[in-house]
Amino acid sequence: MNENQRINQSENRLEDCADRPVPLLGRMVIWQRRLRVMTVKELLQFSRDGALILFMIYAFTLDIYLAGSGVRLELSNAVTVVHDDDRSFASRELVRRFRPPSFDVEGEINGGREGIHLLDHGEAMVVLDIPPRFGESLLCGMPTSVQVQIDASNSLLGTFAGSYSTQIVSSFGLEAGLRRLGLHVDHLENLPHVMEEHRVWFNPNQDNRWFMSIAELLNIITLFAILLPACAMVREKEKGTVEQLLVTPLSPFQIMFPKILSMAVVILAGTSLSLFGVLKTCFGVPFKGSLGLYFAITLLYIFATAGLGLFISTIARNLGQAGMLTIITYGPMIFLSGAWTPPEAMPDFLRLLMLLSPLHYYIDASFGVLLKGAGLSLLWDSVLGMSLLGGALFGLGLWRLRGQFQ
Amino acid sequence: MNLRRILSVASRERREVMRDRLFFALAFIVPPVLLLTFGYGLSLDVENIPFAAVDYDRTPMSRDYLHGFIDSRYFSFKGYLENERDVYRLLAIGRVRAAIVIPEHFQETLLAARPVAVQTLIDGTFPFRAQTTKGYVVGVNTAFSTRLLSGHLARTTGVSRDSARHILEPIKAEVRCLYNQSLKSDWSLVPKLMMIVLMICPPLLTSMGVVREKETGAIYNIYSSTITRGEYLLGKLAPYIAVSILNVGVLWLITARVFGAPFKGSALFFFGSSILYVICTTGMGLVVSVLVRTQVAATLITFIITVVPSVFYSGIFVPIPSLSKGAKVVAHLLPAMYYTNIVTGCFLKGVGLEVLWSDVLVLAGYAAALFTIGYSMFHKRPRS
Repeated sequence: MNENQRINQSENRLEDCADRPVPLLGRMVIWQRRLRVMTVKELLQFSRDGALILFMIYAFTLDIYLAGSGVRLELSNAVTVVHDDDRSFASRELVRRFRPPSFDVEGEINGGREGIHLLDHGEAMVVLDIPPRFGESLLCGMPTSVQVQIDASNSLLGTFAGSYSTQIVSSFGLEAGLRRLGLHVDHLENLPHVMEEHRVWFNPNQDNRWFMSIAELLNIITLFAILLPACAMVREKEKGTVEQLLVTPLSPFQIMFPKILSMAVVILAGTSLSLFGVLKTCFGVPFKGSLGLYFAITLLYIFATAGLGLFISTIARNLGQAGMLTIITYGPMIFLSGAWTPPEAMPDFLRLLMLLSPLHYYIDASFGVLLKGAGLSLLWDSVLGMSLLGGALFGLGLWRLRGQFQ
Repeated sequence: MNLRRILSVASRERREVMRDRLFFALAFIVPPVLLLTFGYGLSLDVENIPFAAVDYDRTPMSRDYLHGFIDSRYFSFKGYLENERDVYRLLAIGRVRAAIVIPEHFQETLLAARPVAVQTLIDGTFPFRAQTTKGYVVGVNTAFSTRLLSGHLARTTGVSRDSARHILEPIKAEVRCLYNQSLKSDWSLVPKLMMIVLMICPPLLTSMGVVREKETGAIYNIYSSTITRGEYLLGKLAPYIAVSILNVGVLWLITARVFGAPFKGSALFFFGSSILYVICTTGMGLVVSVLVRTQVAATLITFIITVVPSVFYSGIFVPIPSLSKGAKVVAHLLPAMYYTNIVTGCFLKGVGLEVLWSDVLVLAGYAAALFTIGYSMFHKRPRS
């Protein structure tokens, strides 16, 4: 209450000045003082909510740490059981090829039924079935086959397990075939074939922690950028303090902008905490590009997304509504951002929708700056897309707000 | 516990929710909308990987080799590039995710029966996509090499091309993917998305319940009334549980009918455990509501403790065994993981209580624990 009284007093003084014709410079001083007073008010209000600050710090540190360190999207030690009807040298050799880090052969089973049982209960992921006379067929050049059953209820890992086991089996077969011809797989200089040589750029060791932690940071920034300004506005509506603001000489822009500005300050502080406290120190993410550029892009993104938050706040009358409206925009934004799901694999209409998600551009730009070392010359179209969307959202929010003020 | 008092709190809450028309509508609109967008948007299948090629050789054979990629449904050809510097630019802006560099004398070397190294440059920004891409590249290379080798063998040893290929590929790997035969992500993911949606929406509904009254001061009516803490909390929870149970039915219909996921388990068991699960998730919202002082904090905290973990630690993207230790602890602390087991068990595997009893037990314990926490943290005589 004190807060508002003080602001009102200072506003009254400002208004006194504003009544007289003041030169442009004076008007600008008033304008910037109003902005400052309102921004400080928002920051003070934020700083007095202890639980909120605590969870904000949690979100920007521990949560990102857990997301980065906790999730490994790769096939590691997939539990494999073998049903070996052959028990020959060749079959044992093939089983030995299914080895860590991708596979982990846990033991043998006696029949196909047992394999299905283990798969049903999630106790095994891969069942390798080697038919009788497998080794014999290989020796005399008869075609044979092995069966690989995979629990694909996690389709990503199912794909990995399928493609790896096919690779293992076919290279094993190739070696056996060559051996029959008196050749060895290590001495193929005199045979025409393509040697595989791949280089992975931007994340040479395919460190999942880099991807996961950055992606999570972007998600958290998005969440706060929508929710904080929206809540700051709806709270005033719900408590009725917005009436106080309405009788001040502040314009809708002067009421709205400080809310975004102050929350942008808070979010940027959280971002640097997480960049230096978690990403760099814990995961060794190489900041290849310019951090200044990254912060500038983040600021632009916060404004763009806050426009969305303010638009929500013009629809919602209480925080329950604001929360539901946020989740209905935030959820699709995350899933249409292209971080989780490859844009190439999406249906066409969703790819069009992706162009409307500011997060889509922000993800491209962030990974571009942080991992690829790209500069503005390469990322200009992402930045442009974000600015256009942000400008539109911001304008829309302001327009709705103005309508409600009159 | 007095049933009448519980019911009166519940009916008061119900009225409040239903009179807030936008909120009430959203409570039923948000879950199906989320499920539909997630279900259609979430395809983890890596296909149509955009790639470019630098062909320093420009011979029939190099083009033939490239066609292995161009004709594959896993790759989508974006054009030839002059040199590797262009590759860097396109990879950096994400226009292509991979590039193939065919060296000079590609055809010459192969015709001279010597091996040739072909370089593939892959964008590693999204590690799991890079991993999959590598697998596809190996596949295309192996097919091409086998063709070359069998042709070479046919020429040098005089056997036919076909039998030469049989010699080189003596074993056929018959890979069968169970529970998700076509490896389409939709099927395996959509039932689990039900879990996510039911993790996100019910707590958000409940989280305003108590704290709204705290902020407006209406809570003093409760403080000064004869109602006990337990009765008040149960009454608060009841309408939201009812809303969420209705949503379970709607989500189940969408999953089974719209996405066509096969439901193999028992409906009774599934709905029973789903009710238990929504009691857990609405309970989480209630605990947050009891603990904080402002609605803003309640909204934000609910988001943080539900949205993030339900995606990461529930076994959707990664099975629990391949989580790291710290994450495993978090996964076990949340109800999401246990419900994922139940959902996949019922939809994809067709198993029931006999296998999943432990998960059900944990959910029941979880619900009881949440209520105990809420009960002990809620005081009718607040200190301040």
